[in-house]
Parts: sequence; structure tokens; C-alpha cells
Amino acid sequence: MSDARDIIEQLLRRSRGPRGPNGPRTIPAITAFQEMFGGLGVIVRGVITRFGRVIGIAENGLNFKLPFGIDAVQVVPTQRVQKEEFGFRSEKADRARTQFAAGNPDESLMLTGDLNIIQVEWVVQYRIDDPVKYLYSMRLTTKTLRDLSESVMRRIVGNRIGSDVLTIGRIEIASAARDEIQAAMERYDNGIKVITVQLQDVLPPTRVQPAFNEVNEARQQLERMVNDATKEANQAIPKADGTAKRTVAEAEGYATERVNRAHGDVAAFSAVLAEYKRAPEVTRTRLYLEALNKVLPKIGSVVVVQDGQATPLPLLNLRDGQRLPQKPEATR
Amino acid sequence: MKNITYLALVAVFVLLVFSRSAFIVDQSQQAIIVQFGEPVGGVISEPGLHWRIPFIQNVRPFDRRLLDWDGDVSQIPTLGREFIIVDTTARWRISDPLQFLRSVQSENGARTRLDDVLDSAVRDVVSGSELAEIVRSADWKVDKSQLREEDVAAIGADELAKPKKGRGQLEKDILATATQQMPNIGIELVDVRIKRINYIDSVGKQVEDRMIAERQSIAARFRSEGQGRSEEILGNMQRELQRIASEAARQAQEIRGRADAEATKIYGDAYGQDPAFYSLSKTLDSYSTLGENTTLMIDAKSEFFRYLQSSQGR
Repeated sequence: MSDARDIIEQLLRRSRGPRGPNGPRTIPAITAFQEMFGGLGVIVRGVITRFGRVIGIAENGLNFKLPFGIDAVQVVPTQRVQKEEFGFRSEKADRARTQFAAGNPDESLMLTGDLNIIQVEWVVQYRIDDPVKYLYSMRLTTKTLRDLSESVMRRIVGNRIGSDVLTIGRIEIASAARDEIQAAMERYDNGIKVITVQLQDVLPPTRVQPAFNEVNEARQQLERMVNDATKEANQAIPKADGTAKRTVAEAEGYATERVNRAHGDVAAFSAVLAEYKRAPEVTRTRLYLEALNKVLPKIGSVVVVQDGQATPLPLLNLRDGQRLPQKPEATR
Repeated sequence: MKNITYLALVAVFVLLVFSRSAFIVDQSQQAIIVQFGEPVGGVISEPGLHWRIPFIQNVRPFDRRLLDWDGDVSQIPTLGREFIIVDTTARWRISDPLQFLRSVQSENGARTRLDDVLDSAVRDVVSGSELAEIVRSADWKVDKSQLREEDVAAIGADELAKPKKGRGQLEKDILATATQQMPNIGIELVDVRIKRINYIDSVGKQVEDRMIAERQSIAARFRSEGQGRSEEILGNMQRELQRIASEAARQAQEIRGRADAEATKIYGDAYGQDPAFYSLSKTLDSYSTLGENTTLMIDAKSEFFRYLQSSQGR
């Protein structure tokens, strides 16, 4: 009976001859060569027990053990990185892309420090560092790892503000969780080495997600409104500056013109005045006549107002006015 | 033939005796030999092959590893009357197998006791604490300056107080209470941890509603803040535009005024040389600027009329 079981065990696992102090006479057991198991491709270690007592650890390779139930081997994968998933289960990893099963709400729902609800999914990667401790210091080591991971993650998330967890806190949370889970495993001395904790989806509860999106949209809207207004201001103010410069320039133009004209007028006046001073009477008459010359052709009629007379006296009519220009010239 | 039969019988008997007297204590176990229901000898904690008297002695193995306890998921009201779901987990070990054997016989018996004691300890501690105390830890530290303004507004700054005890201490309290209340059944409680805390469904819905309302009010605030800031920018722009325009107008007026003043001074200086002549030339100028078909109305005594008469007369 035990022999048959042994053969199967031998075929399934590696075996090894005892080397310990209490294993002096080696009885060659039915052995199996590693080549037969090369296809497993997993680095494992076998914990050998004799009558239930741990007597050694078998490394990869050809090993021997005592048959008939005296020696037993428990194979523990020690180098392989194993993982525990929380809040989701990946399935069909053989496909190109890992597919995820629907979330496990109980596992992922937790409370944040501001007493809001949050969904956190994470992965704990670990390795069995010490197969003896793994097997013999705790009964349900993997379950304990799971329980502790949940407890630790909830403690850390509960110690932070929700928005922090959702945004900037991820890396810190992951590394704090790793350290804390590792510390717990060390306290239990169960031979597990936590390699990393990775946060996956961290989301508000499904029902609240649209409201979170709304906030993001509103923030975008805010920025857009500010940008629009700033853009308008940036367009209007340089333009107004230009208009202002134009107004000032126009005023300066006016000023220059005004002063120049004044100078011109004054120069003309001074010139005429000089003439006038030399021969006042003649110049006076000439000036009048020149003015008349200019005026009379255009004038429709001239009305003379005399003191003591009620109605103005028409002096010329339109027709006469047409002929008048020749006459003053004739006087010259 | 007879000899062979005897031999076989003896062999079977020896084998039977052997198999009934040898027993294995696994590395993960400790064992007690029981004779007629009474423990005999001490605890066998050394793993390996051991012997007993066949047929009258039985072996009771007990696990000596760290064992786990998974609590019931229970609904507990906190001090603040929120109903929450608390799921706890604990680790324990059989520290005194003799006492263990005498008082609870088996692990199942121990679990029942653990259930009673731990559930009640968890209940006591949770219902005597505020929810925030259970959720937050003693090293709670919220840097308000690091928070976004919107979140602080949503939470309310006074609600972010540091817990008096915090989760870790409460877990220790649970462990202490449970250890104290635990009857002597030969076990040692190693730790108790709160695995999960969640709101019960109806409260969870309310909390979600509150979160939604919070977010919506934040969104509304963003939008009105957007309008406000936009108005502010546009207002500033308007003020700037008016300042620019009015400053330009003032400057222009000043420039014009100065020019007018200068021109006036120039005219004044020049015309002041001979006001009579100025008046004459200006009068004549004004006549010469008359438009077409105007009716000229002149005083009979004016000089202009005199000249007009003389020009006609000539």
C-alpha cells in the first residue's frame, strides 16, 4: 500500500536520500530522474519529513528518500512569484490579454478617511522564502496573507482622504501596504516574502462615478471660461492701446497743424501789415477792393440797412451781380 | 504447513501490535496520549515516531501552528449610530494542549468559544467608538494645505480630526478584551484584525447619495466660479479699456488745448501789433468766405458799403 503510494509520489515529485545525522543507512528508494520532470519548469524545493519530522530540504535535482511512508516530501514552489488578487480575478491568462472577471464588491469596497466609499483593486505578489516556515508555522498561510492584505489595505486607505487615494496617493499606498503586510508576515514568521503590492483600479463607487466625471467636466468648463475671457481681454486691450495711440497721434497732428497754421496766418498778417504801414490808405482801399472782387461774383444780393429806415434797401439783384466783377477791375 | 500458518498469524499479530503502538507526530502537530479518556504523560511536542500501549491508549493530535479564526460578518451600530458591517479575523494557537483537551476537546469546540468571546469583544469596542475612530489610524495626518480646496469644502475641515485611538489601538482593545474574557481553554490569542468595514446597504446608498450631492455641488461651484472669474476678467478688461481710452482722450485734449493756446498766443502777439488793421483784415476775410447767392446785409454807414458804392459809381 504505502509502497504503491510511494511510487506515485516518486514519480510526481523529486526524491532524495537522507543526509541528516539521523539517516545513516541509506536505502535506495525507487527513484526518478529530474529529466522526467524537466517539463515542469518550476523551481521547487521539497521539504522532507521522516515520521512527520522535518529532516531536510531537497533542492532541485536527483534526490533519494526512504520508502514505505518513512520519509515524505512536500513540494513547495519557492522561486515562483505567486500572486493574490483582490477585487477582481484574472482568468484565461493564456490569451493575449488577461481577461478580468467581474469585480468582487465585498473585497474591493472600503471606507476612506473622510468616511466615503471607494473601490480599490489590488494585487499582492509574493514568494515563499522559507518552505519549512511556510508549511509549519501557520495552518492557512495563503488565507492569512489574503486576510492580512485586506486588513492592511483598508487601514491604509482609511487613513487617507478619498481624493488622495484616487489621485496622488497610489504609489505611497502600495508601498506602505507592502511594508505593512511584510511586517505582519514576519510577525507570524510564516516564510512568505511580499515582493510588491500593486494597486489596480481605484474608483469611486459605480453609482457615484458620473458625479465625479461631472466635477471633472465642470473643472474643464471653468478653465475654458477663464481662458475664453482671458483671450477676449488679450485681444481687446492691445487693440485699445493702439486706438489710444492713434487718438493721441491725431491730437498731436491737430496741434502741429494748428500751430503751423497760426504761424502761417501770422506771417501773412505781418507781411500785409508791413505793407499797410508803409501806405495805409492805399493798402486799405486795395484790400477792400480785393475783397469786393472776391465777394461780389458770388453774392446773390446786397441789402443796405440805413439808420431811420424801416425796411432794408435792396441794392443789387442777382442779374446785376453777375456783371459786377468787371467793373472794379476797370477802375484799376 | 501448520508452522507456516502459525508463522503468518504471529507475523500478522506482531504487525498489528506494531501498527497500534507506533504513531507519528507531524512537525505541525503536538499530541497527547489518552488512556481510558484520561491524558497520560505530558504533551508530546517533539515531532517524529512515538510509542504507546496498543489498544488501551489513544492519541489526540493537536495543531501547534498558528491557526486562523474568521469572524462572522456582523452588523454593528457605532457610537454615532451608523450601522456598519464588520468582518474580523484573528490568529490563535493551542498553547496548552492538556487544558485544551480537558475544556474544549477539539478545535471546533474552541472555535465556538472564540466566536462568542471575539464577537462580543468586537461588538463592544465598535459600538463604543465613532466610525472615524475605527476607519482612521493613530498616525492619521491630513495636510490640509495639500488638499484641493474643493475637497476640504466637501469634507468640512473640522471633520478631519485625528482619531483619539485609531484602528490599531481599537484592534488591540478588542484583543485585550477578548483575552480577558476568554475562559481558560488552553489557547493563546495572537492578534485580532478588522478585515472589512463597510456601511450596510441602506446606509451605503445614503453615503453614495451624499457623495453624489457633494460632487454635484463641487461641480456647480466650479461652473459658477468659472462664470465669476470670467466676469471678473471681462470686468477688469472693461476697466482697462476705459482707462486706456480715457487716458488717451485726456492726453489728446491736453495736446489740442496746448496747441490752441499756443496758436492763440501767436495770433494775439501778432495781431496785437495793430488791432485796427487786424479788425479790417479779418472783416474782409470774413466777407471773402461768403458762400454763393448769399444776401449780404450791410450798414449804410459801414466802410465796406462806402467802397461798394464807390466801385459802382465809378
